[in-house]
Amino acid sequence: MLNITGQGTAHTCDGVSRRDFLQVGTLGAAGVSLAELERARAEGKTRPEADRRSVIMIFNLGAPSQFETFDPKPEAPSEIRGPFKPIPVAGGGFSISEILPRHAEHGDKFSVVRSCYHTAAAVHDTGHQMMQTGRLFTGGVNTPHAGCVASYLQGRRTDLPPHVVLPEPMGSTGGNLPHGQDAGFLGKAHDPFVLMADPSKENFRVPDLLPPKSIGEARLDRRKRLRQIVDSTVKDFEGSENAKLLDSSFQAAFRIITSEKARAAFDLSQESKKTRDRYGMNRFGQCCLMARRLVEAGVRCVTVNTFLTVFNEITWDIHGTKPFTSIEGMRDIVAPMYDQAYSALLEDLTQRGLLEDTLVCNLSEFGRTPRVNPAGGRDHWPQCWSVYFAGGGVQGGRVIGKSDPIGAYPAEHPVAPNNAVATIFKSLGFDLEEELPGPSGRPFPLVDQGTEAINELF
Amino acid sequence: MMHTPLRLPRILGPLLLLTAVLLSSGAHADDKPPVDKLVVLPGDFTLDGSRSFQRLLPGLVTDGHFAGTPKGKLQWSSSNPAVVTIGDGTARPTGDGQATITVRSEKLAATARVTVVNFGRPVVWDFRIHVQSVLTKSGCNSGACHGALAGKNGFKLSLRGYDPVADVRTITRQNRGRRVIPNDPGRSLLLTKPTGAVPHKGGVRFEEGSPEYRVVSEWIAAGHPPPKDDGPRIKRLEILPANAVLKPGTNQQLVVRAHFTDGHAEDVTRWAKFTSNNTTVADVDDVGNVSVTGHGETAVVAWYLSRNVVAALSVPYGNDVANGVFDKSPRNNFIDGLVLDKLKGLRLPPSPRTGDAEFLRRATLDTLGVLPTPVEARAFLNDTSPDRRARLVEKLLARPEYIDYWTHKWSDLLLVTSSKLKPPSMKSYSKWIRDHVAANTPWDEFARDLVTARGTTHTNGAANFFVLHRDPADMAETVSMAFLGMSIQCAKCHDHPLEKWTNDEFYGMANLFSRVRFKIAPEGGDGNQSIFTTTSGELIQPRTGKPQLPRPLDGKTIGFEEPGDRRDHLANWLVAPGNPYFTRAIVNRIWANFLGTGIVEKVDDLRLTNPPSNEQLLARLSGFLVENRYDLKSLIRLIMNSQTYQRSSRVTAGNRADLRFYARYYPRRLKAEVLLDAISSATGQPTTFKGYPAGTRSLQLPDSNIASRFLSTFGRPDRVITCECERSDEPSMVQVLHILNGDTLNNKLQSKTNRIGKWLAAGLPDYRIVESIYLASLSRYPTNREMSETLKIFAETPADQKRALIEDVFWSVISSREFLFNH
Repeated sequence: MLNITGQGTAHTCDGVSRRDFLQVGTLGAAGVSLAELERARAEGKTRPEADRRSVIMIFNLGAPSQFETFDPKPEAPSEIRGPFKPIPVAGGGFSISEILPRHAEHGDKFSVVRSCYHTAAAVHDTGHQMMQTGRLFTGGVNTPHAGCVASYLQGRRTDLPPHVVLPEPMGSTGGNLPHGQDAGFLGKAHDPFVLMADPSKENFRVPDLLPPKSIGEARLDRRKRLRQIVDSTVKDFEGSENAKLLDSSFQAAFRIITSEKARAAFDLSQESKKTRDRYGMNRFGQCCLMARRLVEAGVRCVTVNTFLTVFNEITWDIHGTKPFTSIEGMRDIVAPMYDQAYSALLEDLTQRGLLEDTLVCNLSEFGRTPRVNPAGGRDHWPQCWSVYFAGGGVQGGRVIGKSDPIGAYPAEHPVAPNNAVATIFKSLGFDLEEELPGPSGRPFPLVDQGTEAINELF
Repeated sequence: MMHTPLRLPRILGPLLLLTAVLLSSGAHADDKPPVDKLVVLPGDFTLDGSRSFQRLLPGLVTDGHFAGTPKGKLQWSSSNPAVVTIGDGTARPTGDGQATITVRSEKLAATARVTVVNFGRPVVWDFRIHVQSVLTKSGCNSGACHGALAGKNGFKLSLRGYDPVADVRTITRQNRGRRVIPNDPGRSLLLTKPTGAVPHKGGVRFEEGSPEYRVVSEWIAAGHPPPKDDGPRIKRLEILPANAVLKPGTNQQLVVRAHFTDGHAEDVTRWAKFTSNNTTVADVDDVGNVSVTGHGETAVVAWYLSRNVVAALSVPYGNDVANGVFDKSPRNNFIDGLVLDKLKGLRLPPSPRTGDAEFLRRATLDTLGVLPTPVEARAFLNDTSPDRRARLVEKLLARPEYIDYWTHKWSDLLLVTSSKLKPPSMKSYSKWIRDHVAANTPWDEFARDLVTARGTTHTNGAANFFVLHRDPADMAETVSMAFLGMSIQCAKCHDHPLEKWTNDEFYGMANLFSRVRFKIAPEGGDGNQSIFTTTSGELIQPRTGKPQLPRPLDGKTIGFEEPGDRRDHLANWLVAPGNPYFTRAIVNRIWANFLGTGIVEKVDDLRLTNPPSNEQLLARLSGFLVENRYDLKSLIRLIMNSQTYQRSSRVTAGNRADLRFYARYYPRRLKAEVLLDAISSATGQPTTFKGYPAGTRSLQLPDSNIASRFLSTFGRPDRVITCECERSDEPSMVQVLHILNGDTLNNKLQSKTNRIGKWLAAGLPDYRIVESIYLASLSRYPTNREMSETLKIFAETPADQKRALIEDVFWSVISSREFLFNH
């Protein structure tokens, strides 16, 4: 089965690109022919017009309070409105909380959806699944992250992987469920590349990106050639997805380490100190900067996890009790770092003319309880929260949907996580009617029938 | 009982006998169509009261299995319409008495016996049974609606109705009684809201005049009686058909019957909630209609009043395989017969026996976690005796590395790590495990010793189990996870939605640990604590505000004042041979260690609603372990000597899709520690770990809290959560980059003290070096092609680059899938 393409990279079902086959000379064995590729082109399954777009998904693990961010309720009783005041954004489209002043300067570039909700259990993990894949995992079917769908449908654009997760995948958030951050039924060949390092650390480099000095280009070539001799004798692995994946990972790894341009995309030392400081010399800030570099170098989707777990760090998960922080901790610790990095990213993308073709979406798994709890925090509340979008065809300065007077339920235009994911697909130019090869090869719709993007954003 | 649903429905019993007779008389051979019978499910039932009904399922029985609904028109009739009538496939009573319902297809006929009782008795809906079912099926008390912890819009119900007493109070007393108006039920909010007569954020849940509406309105009109303490409770659920063999593209209706403590049973299909465990095989809709979408097996779970029941559906693959393929396949012990029965049913042909080299490598890795040395490999490959594999198994079981491997495995399970324990405690905990593995302590004794541990953490390592889980609720969860392979965490806050465990049972279990106490040991220092029990102290069950009587899940309750250590009571229940969970959990863990995939997947997810892929196999293996007094080595021996374990990992035509039924061996990446040790052993260059003597292998490290980029990249668990899911064996690009460019493998290859240096010093010819690399890494000789192509590169390479070339050859072998995987 032949699936797709971007610039001359056709993918077979196990995710090995056409170029890999040509390089290793097993094209015939895999059953993919150039004629088939040409036929796919003729049938219009390749879509260069959608190829410009990229997405940066900032995932606010922990789940920010809607009241202290994008849906302030100054008219509500004090136990609901919380301690902070609203401020108007640039362009005057709407107001946000005063703890995000630099966001306010860019209010003409992003639009807020204030009526997001979900109906699954109020644990972090379910929201992660739905917000990144558009669905809750049921019946043993793990649906793919939106970036992995892009990876599957379009392949890689350059020598870099199509989907990168910064800085690490989500870890434990209490539910012991999968977070929806991989390719699920599309197969591990479409899993994202994860950085596994903190780019704000001194002497940061991508782990193992470069061979040791003793292994020059000639030896690298020889190793590749020798490995081919061993691996081509063994047929035991055709029934193992993990084994096939390992092989395609080798191909992808060889591609990155032999491409100067690909390696440079991860090299933050090529940025000025001023730029790095503007993003903030912390993990999240430098990840946002790296996201911009990666998108610039051709990565289709960069997922930036604001936090990695709710347990060992101060996050958006403001229960007020230990080991979590409170509303004040959110103001003092989380918001400043977040505000600085996001505003830097929007400025940078705008200055470089990248924003138009880069969707920046800031998502989270749920909202927080309308009533401030006795510990001075807010608890999990999937019934209503806010998410926001910029670039990639989205118009700024708008508010979509509305919550009720106490921010407890959507009052107008309720938006579910699947609508947010459909919005990403729309920005990337995907046809929502498209079908993916689901589990057991069953056609699986990109989004469930009738699911619409948040069209008012565009 | 845990596995009742997997038995065939009673009605099929005689039919199976009949089929068996036909089979033995040779009526059913490969080329003849199997015998068809028509049946009606349920075949014998009672309708109690004028409002009762029963949906009937006509079905074909083929080859002893329920095989779907007959095609074509069916004729239904009642022998006595004054007792029962039949319409739309549903039987309804018309008067007390007995009657027979007959269904006829073109050629076949079948009957069901019906008894009608209490026809004249007035109908009173029971809150616990009927009203609660309506509220649950309509979603009113779901987590997204009024079942949320905070309720919704001031109206809070217990999640999925686990607390009917509180729910009646909420419905009848709160909100100034506007929720129920007995003299005009239609104005009750409990009806105007869900029917949409007044605005309802949750939308319309049921229609006016529907069966749901009638149940609720009639209950209100009857004065909304609360559930009686002595009222009927649910006893068990039944699903029909409980087993079926279906074809892709077909549909099958399911029927759920609830049996109550007062002896009556009802058709509750309408109120049950259905889910399919594997929707790629079959999906199920709201009313229990299954549509078959693919091949393989799935379980359809029906939930009703906090009980679950499972229908096992099998959809054979479309392979055209003669029965002889299965019948003639070799068998070494009972495992093989049971696996082949399953493969035959699913038409999955088994792969052939694997070669000696693969078997040697596989067996050594799975039992000891190390690679065979080149000497061992040569010796085994030269051995031509017919019992060489069985003798190898015996040798492996007696080797010291066996102790390292299994100590490490149980240390994962029991969370041995210095990140939570002071080093002396961590070491004593590790030593306790190690001593038991070395003594091959039966698993039941091992578990008993652990859960009843007392004494100081420095002298009795098992006591650390309690230090890690001080909270009784945490202890209840951990014991259940470690020894029953079962998560009961959900039941901490509400009845478990996927299991039978209730909130009360959780607190009964947790209260067994409420008298465990800790103090700094007299010979204190460095975290030495003393674990003991007192004679007082109870854990409060938050829902009732009172302690729950101590009880090990579904075991016997003991009184609050019962003398003795409550943990002894737990241990007696835990390791009793009659406790199915305990034996199954360990059998499944051991099986998964060798076959890569548990009979129940995942191994930490044993529950009624997640049935095994081969029930007979799991049951027989569990029986075997009990007979052998929990001697794990005897179980391991049995598994390793089976043909099933010795199957090739190569795909055979028709079994590529198999990932659960053991038609072939499933290749899997070596786990982090084993892989690192394998690289050390192949290159002859050990890894050093700070604070441990030179030559210590990573599997011998007692502690997981030792920095190692290699181990964390390849998925070593942190030992924080009791769950095998903490370990990741999935390959990733980060791992590949580490193999390619990282310092682990490259440094070992460059080292002057590794095997390469020795070979060069000994003046080994090129072909011997190549051969040695393959033997040390893959336990096999290179093929002719591998040898000749490699030697060609040797010939092209200048002498001063020979060492680098050998390193590169070594690198290519170690980075190959064949090395990185156990296959």
